[in-house]
Amino acid sequence: MSDLKESIRDTGLRRWQVIKAVSAGTMALGSAVGLAAVAAWLIAKAAEMPSPADIALAAVIVRFFGISRGLFRYLERLASHDAALRGVVTLRERTYASLAASGSRTILGLRRGDILARLGADLDAIGDAVVRAIIPTWVALTVSALAVAIVGYFSLLAAAALALCLALAALLPGLLTARASRIAAERGGAAQAEVSAAVHSSLDAASEHLVWDTTGAVRDELRAANREAEAAADAAAGPSAWAAGLQSLASGAALVLAVGIGITAATAGNLSGPGAAVVALTPLAAFEAVGAIPTAMSQYFRSRFAARRVRAMTGQSADASTATTATTRTSRTAATTTTAAPAPAPVLVPPVLEISALRAGWLASEEGEASIPTRPVSVRVEPGTSLGLIGRSGVGKTTMLLTIAGALEPVAGTVTLDGASVGEETTGRTVAMTAEDAHVFGTSVLENLRVARGDVTVDDATEALDTVGLTAWVAGLPAGLDTVLGSGGGSISGGERRRLLLARVLVTPAPIHLIDEPGEHLDAAGRDALRAVLDTMRKCGRSVVIVTHDVSLLDRADQVIDLDE
Amino acid sequence: MRPFDPRLVGRIGPARRYVITTAALGAVTALLILAQALLLARLLSPVLAPAPLAEDGLGWWGRLVPEGTRALATGLAWLVAVVAARAAVTWLQERLAHRAGVRVISDIRTQVVDHAATLGPRWVASGEGASVTTVVTRGLENLLPYFVRYLPQLMLAATVTPLMLIVVLGLDWLSAVIIAVTLPLVPVFMILVGLLTRERSARHLASMDRLATRTLDLIEGLPTLRALGRERGPAARVRELGDAYRAATMSSLRIAFLSGMVLELLTTLAVALVAVTMGFRLVAGDIGIETALAVLVLAPEVYLPVRNVGTHFHASADGLAAADAAFSILDERAPGTQTESGGVAPSLRGRTLHVRGLAVATPDGRRWAPSDLSFEAAPGTVTVLRGSNGEGKSTALMAMVGLLAPDSGTIHATAPGEDPHLLADATVTVERATWSAQCGWVPQRPDLGPAGRTLSLGQRQRRALERAFASDRPVLVLDEPTAHLDSVSRAEVIEQIRTAARSGATVVVATHEAEMIEAADVVVDVLDARRDSEDHPHDEATENTAGGAL
Repeated sequence: MSDLKESIRDTGLRRWQVIKAVSAGTMALGSAVGLAAVAAWLIAKAAEMPSPADIALAAVIVRFFGISRGLFRYLERLASHDAALRGVVTLRERTYASLAASGSRTILGLRRGDILARLGADLDAIGDAVVRAIIPTWVALTVSALAVAIVGYFSLLAAAALALCLALAALLPGLLTARASRIAAERGGAAQAEVSAAVHSSLDAASEHLVWDTTGAVRDELRAANREAEAAADAAAGPSAWAAGLQSLASGAALVLAVGIGITAATAGNLSGPGAAVVALTPLAAFEAVGAIPTAMSQYFRSRFAARRVRAMTGQSADASTATTATTRTSRTAATTTTAAPAPAPVLVPPVLEISALRAGWLASEEGEASIPTRPVSVRVEPGTSLGLIGRSGVGKTTMLLTIAGALEPVAGTVTLDGASVGEETTGRTVAMTAEDAHVFGTSVLENLRVARGDVTVDDATEALDTVGLTAWVAGLPAGLDTVLGSGGGSISGGERRRLLLARVLVTPAPIHLIDEPGEHLDAAGRDALRAVLDTMRKCGRSVVIVTHDVSLLDRADQVIDLDE
Repeated sequence: MRPFDPRLVGRIGPARRYVITTAALGAVTALLILAQALLLARLLSPVLAPAPLAEDGLGWWGRLVPEGTRALATGLAWLVAVVAARAAVTWLQERLAHRAGVRVISDIRTQVVDHAATLGPRWVASGEGASVTTVVTRGLENLLPYFVRYLPQLMLAATVTPLMLIVVLGLDWLSAVIIAVTLPLVPVFMILVGLLTRERSARHLASMDRLATRTLDLIEGLPTLRALGRERGPAARVRELGDAYRAATMSSLRIAFLSGMVLELLTTLAVALVAVTMGFRLVAGDIGIETALAVLVLAPEVYLPVRNVGTHFHASADGLAAADAAFSILDERAPGTQTESGGVAPSLRGRTLHVRGLAVATPDGRRWAPSDLSFEAAPGTVTVLRGSNGEGKSTALMAMVGLLAPDSGTIHATAPGEDPHLLADATVTVERATWSAQCGWVPQRPDLGPAGRTLSLGQRQRRALERAFASDRPVLVLDEPTAHLDSVSRAEVIEQIRTAARSGATVVVATHEAEMIEAADVVVDVLDARRDSEDHPHDEATENTAGGAL
């Protein structure tokens, strides 16, 4: 619960913004209740055949409510959406900043693209909590109070009955919906993932299954996944249906009680005719506001799960172990200190990278078990030289690279730059890294190079692109260097993407660059580009560490270490 | 957009049943609402009438609830029954809606996936095919709110609204006129507002989309920025983009919510007018209290379903768009003019495969890959296809196992002393099943179905290769078999490939790994025809046969 609360605090939402939206919402739905009450009074009064002037005021009020409902509803929707959007913008910025400031382990560990892709939706879901859960709940409360007050003016007993039914209509369906949401999120989510996997398998590998005559097996898998998704939805639909039925029953009960009490009181002469009409007919309009409670409840749950994911990602979750929180806090403090200090002066003399008896591996954490550390490695990388690390899949090459970058604590041994340990402040600045899944931004080719260094000129870019053999490719683009690439580099081929990342390596100012698996998707010409990059780096006196499982890429490396040995 | 897609009822069994049940439940609901309104009028009128009620104020419809319900005990008992029945119908409707919605989604999903699988690898790989996954997973989920929320309201709008209007007409024609005049204004005004704002909303939507994508892009690229030491700057940019996004969204919402306001304004105002008009006519004695009460309670019920349809309109739009996308895939026909009229494929054991002038257009149709590829693959040999990315090695392999039709060129199976047997050309192919069942094809990134779900890519690759080697199929067609493998596994795989060839299999491999190329008996360069005519360096690698040289 506290995750969502904290996240909403992070939206910087102001109290008056919520009050504004709740007031407008109360006016809107209150108009409906008012319309029902005053119209009932008007008709009942008119039946006593007074002079028309006696009902003139009521007639004006009824017309006013006829107009005010639509107007205030419009204002309420604008106010609540504005509040939520402002909140999401602030939340996005804060989440970004706290992600950026969290330890490099947290950030560089965020390799699974889907989690990051989900972040946007999750942040929006937290904003939706304001529009669809918090504001409607408050409006339900105020409008219900208003309806009870109107009825209470004429009959306290009827008001008590109405209040009881309203509470039943809000609470029981609310709890049932909460149950349904939990089932949908847990069982339904798992079923959905299986459906996705089966769909992918059936479609993308249709030809393979055709050739190997396994189409039946995948088809059965999809049918089984579908059945499980149906069963999950069915399980969630049970409580939802009871919620809807109970709401209908509670509002019906309120009507029956109100009619009974109103007529009895009127017959006994304790209540005027118009009073009885108001008591009996107001409940017809009073339940619209609490009708929004189940939707609010399921939104609340969606937002809560979203908040938990977001805060777990930024290492702020209340549910995460205190140990992680402590680590993250420390690293964040460290990062803040770095920000406060003046920007580090450019490194004029490239440092010597000294790795001694280094064993790299992931320690056990809530994300997974500890990995088996690599064998100890000792090596000295002089400025302007290159080191190749090879090894079979899963031996820990990438982990080793992250450790050299200073993003992971070594399991044993040390990594130093001119004698000083690598760490949070050297990651990216002295020791830059290009991961296998490094991001190509949805901006121009030039800006994609400026990601590495803000002052890359057109000439710098042209030169770097020429070195990696992309001159012809850029010339063929509709706007040359200014052509906007699809987000995630979707519109460029695997080989071109690799080479663009190599060009980015060339313009990166850091004196040491670590490159993870540069050979995937590279054809012969791409491999030549990689060699050209290594030669250029050597000329500039910059060091390179390459990790790969492809030994043929390492013919230009000054030293090669096999992690399998 | 139409509120309802007739294809849903026509082609999806569960949808048909659901629509019929929902319509029936809608009719029952309409009768219950009517009974409730009439009962309220019966119960309240004796208390409110200045003089004892002499006549039945409910006219023809009054037969539904006898005059005896004016007595409190009888009336309340009836009311309790109606209220209980309404709750039961609501429960039933909700219960059925979820179940039916999910069944419909499953049904469409299965149909689409089965159909897409028959459209062939070319289509699946093309732009349209790539969207199938999105359509059948996330897209179809949008149908759930359509079935659970929108459709029942649509049915109520089709049953409750007309019934109530008729009842009001029978009770009091003047109120009926007010309702009948305002009711059509609701769709008219909504359409007008929609038309006036369509262009602006489209523009806003586009810019909102762009801004959202760019923000997410920055977040997604955060690990990359951190690894380059450049993670701090973009926070301000995230804020900037976010503020622009909010401004764009709000100006689009200011317009989008207008139609909602018109809807609420018209419906509430009409109810208010009916009430006020009746008030003054009651004072003048033109209308009885029992009639007036019934109309007062019924008037909002006429509008309620219409209002709800409007509220859930967006759910409908998203759901119908998803259904539309699904149906357009179902109506898709496999491309190409090739027919499987070439008869049963001959046994490929001991026969040489002759590929001549093979050309296949790329999915975008802008070039050929491969273009004019010719080579032969003999039993007992390993033939390697080599070439740059995108020259059509994988496509050539797929054509060789009968998965793709050549756009030009031929594939023959030959044996010494017999006429070449045509396997495929641009118009005719042998029965695909009898052909590809003889080919051990291992694509890039093999899937293996349910068995492969828990394996890593490298493990799946090994498992798929083992299946091919163990299959005893006469032709092995392997696409980058050594990718994603470490050096030890790679050597093992190459050895297995050699062994398979020694035991008589025809092996064709696409690769650009040097060790694999070294192990080949024949190396074929898959080249772009245009580049081939230039002075392309046929370099030092083993080159028994060259592309286009046959």
